[in-house]
Amino acid sequence: MNIVEANNLVKIYARGSEKIYALNNISFSIKKGEIVSVIGQSGSGKTTLVNVLGCLDNPSIGSLKIDGQEIFKNTDFVKENLKFSEIELTKIRRKFFGYIFQKFFLIPTLTVKENILLPSVFQKQFIVDEKRLNDITEMLGISKRQNHLPSQLSGGEMQRVAIARALINNPQILIADEPTGNLDSKRSSEIQELLLNLNKNHNITIILVTHNLELAKIGNSIIELFDGQIKKN
Amino acid sequence: MKKIVTFLIFSVILYSFLFAAVGCDLNDPDRDVKRFFSDSTGYKTAYLSLEKLGGSELLKEVEQKLGDNFQGLYETPDVPYTVYTIYKNSDIIGYIHGINQKGQYGGIQVFLVYDLKGNIINFYYQKLTSKKAKDLRATSFSNQFIGLNLKDFENYDPKTGKTDNKKIIEIKNPNPDNNIDFLATIRAVKKNLILMDIFVFNKNK
Amino acid sequence: MNIFQLSYKNLLRRKVRTSFTVIGIIISTWVLVTLLGFNKGYENSLNNDIDGMGFQIVLTAKGCPYEAATLMLKGGTGLRYMPEEIVKEVNFAEEVDKTTAMLMHAEFDPNKGENGGTIVYLGIDPDTYPEMKPYLNFKQGNWFNEKSVNEIVLGYEAAELEQREIGDLMLILGSELEFKVVGVLNRTGTQDDGMIFLPLKTVQEIFDKKGELTMLGIRLKRDADISAFEEKLYELPDIQVVSMAQVKNTIMNLVSSAKVIVFSIAFIAFLIAMFGVLNTVLMSVFERYQEIGILKAMGALPKDIFNIILIETALLCSIGGIIGIIFSYLFSNVSEIAIRHFLPFTPSGSLIKVDEKIAVISFFAIILIGIIGGIYPALHASNIRPLDAIRSDS
Repeated sequence: MNIVEANNLVKIYARGSEKIYALNNISFSIKKGEIVSVIGQSGSGKTTLVNVLGCLDNPSIGSLKIDGQEIFKNTDFVKENLKFSEIELTKIRRKFFGYIFQKFFLIPTLTVKENILLPSVFQKQFIVDEKRLNDITEMLGISKRQNHLPSQLSGGEMQRVAIARALINNPQILIADEPTGNLDSKRSSEIQELLLNLNKNHNITIILVTHNLELAKIGNSIIELFDGQIKKN
Repeated sequence: MKKIVTFLIFSVILYSFLFAAVGCDLNDPDRDVKRFFSDSTGYKTAYLSLEKLGGSELLKEVEQKLGDNFQGLYETPDVPYTVYTIYKNSDIIGYIHGINQKGQYGGIQVFLVYDLKGNIINFYYQKLTSKKAKDLRATSFSNQFIGLNLKDFENYDPKTGKTDNKKIIEIKNPNPDNNIDFLATIRAVKKNLILMDIFVFNKNK
Repeated sequence: MNIFQLSYKNLLRRKVRTSFTVIGIIISTWVLVTLLGFNKGYENSLNNDIDGMGFQIVLTAKGCPYEAATLMLKGGTGLRYMPEEIVKEVNFAEEVDKTTAMLMHAEFDPNKGENGGTIVYLGIDPDTYPEMKPYLNFKQGNWFNEKSVNEIVLGYEAAELEQREIGDLMLILGSELEFKVVGVLNRTGTQDDGMIFLPLKTVQEIFDKKGELTMLGIRLKRDADISAFEEKLYELPDIQVVSMAQVKNTIMNLVSSAKVIVFSIAFIAFLIAMFGVLNTVLMSVFERYQEIGILKAMGALPKDIFNIILIETALLCSIGGIIGIIFSYLFSNVSEIAIRHFLPFTPSGSLIKVDEKIAVISFFAIILIGIIGGIYPALHASNIRPLDAIRSDS
């Protein structure tokens, strides 16, 4: 079953009077439990694609289905057939997605535990699922760091905390935007192991954006972008 | 505006006028000090009370020395006494100290002027209400205290007015037919001497 | 964890900046509470002072508006008198509730101080005067036993000065007779503390002022029109009308101009506090631009972000507000001394009356001001698009 279905996605930015096609007619689908790597040079449209797929942004034209639900559908520029509001997009994000980024974006005044639990604050889940928290931190090897502040952690540990935070609400799709960009090669391979493990043992679909070709190889499929278009599938 | 000004004068003058002497300060210390010590160049004022200096024990000591208990609403250990220390340049040349004493018809304020050894060098009623006030205020009466000191009053009993000290026996009451204010004055003098002994002359004892 | 903790912990991120903002809020609240307290206290005290006189209108003989002042300035020679019949005339008026007649007399006492001094006696009517001055309580004894009797009642300070208790004797200057002290009043903080009271009839007799008065205190009925009644009184010959309402109005006018200035300062202090809050919160929103984007990516709704920022503001203001209110309680004495120093006339009693109502009003006022200052940064933050924020990094 396809968890993501993208058809003819177009994203246009205006730079003065010039129109930039960040995404130009992109179609593909991702099956549940797959790892898909998105590669390409800087400015090729990787991040734009992932933001649209991750419901952080709307495309200009095209259609997008997540888990069979139509999120966006637009056949031309003039008429909008279907577009979710920001609040609706937020709810979709809560339900399906976890995100990790190159920068870890941990809140410095909150402990590791509090940072991990942050997404549940906005879902009004005030009762902490301690078992899930412990399972995740155990798996990521940061269980003993729960009461530390981010400033007391190494870069690799911080990224693990960011991953734990992305996983806490049990997402179906994990969006990882250059997850190893800030790490040395040893830590990078550790994170790589982790992602594979998550995919295998927890059946999480992973959309992985990277310019690291070694890392990209863990994908079941690789999408290479060039000037907003898919080069190879 | 005129009304306010008068309203203000009304309150301010009435207040200062009526309350000036309570606590037994000199009414006009600049003038009074100059009157008793014509060569003085300045003075310092200290406020002392038995309560602060030694509490009930000190009160007992004072009462024992005086030979009489403190009485009534106003003779209490928390009364503030004002001691004026008189200077000529940087040297101390004397002291002035006054106390309140209950008289027959009103409050009596007895001020004593002291030399450095504790001898009385002047005697002054700042306030006195009496039918024969004129006689008591006469210099012939006040001069009788000059040269006396605490030692002379040691055996004086304020309750009976009896003593074996010749100098005290010799002090004459100008109104022999009414001795209430006369006896009150002698008691005030003795009390003044005792307090000054504690405040100044035997401070370190 | 909840949103409240998130906001609270965020304030700890920049402790120095947070502290300075809180200090600004403390000062504004302090100023506001003190001013509101002053506004209430001053008027209360002035009313008490004037009500303490027991009567709204005083009649005196023309030419000597305020006998006591004149007395002091002229040494007792300036007193003028009005006939006692005036009492009947005034009592006849329907507006009048009660009246009390007084005769003030000043004598020169050669035995007071080095050069003598003036002593003032107030002759009062024991039937009517105590009713007008219900706040006069006795430390010892009571009022006079009869209308004309050789008895004395002393104000607290006067009794202390004369070392008198009940049963003691006193002399009245100008009389050979002995007077007995029958009452000593408690301290009131008013001019009554220094008074020597005698029965009116006695003063009239011993000082040869039969049928004469210096003052007539008038208390009106509750619904009486004071100014209309004053107009009527002006028709009486050779009488001066002193209205306490007039005195009060004039003083209040004088004070109100000072109040305008002071409230303008308070308003400015408030504006400064508001922009301080706005600046602090906006700065912290800018600093957390990316972080807010991530929160939104993680599922925070614009409403959640708005609430986080507004809670931060409210927390800042609550802490500052509470400390400010505590300060105003603690330092009301200091503020009072300062006010007494600057104002041309201040009544006795406490000038700054800070009560729960004022504290609560000020607290909510400062929170409101803070929230107004926090709305713009909160809106700004809630409108941050996750994408822009995350991108702003690369």
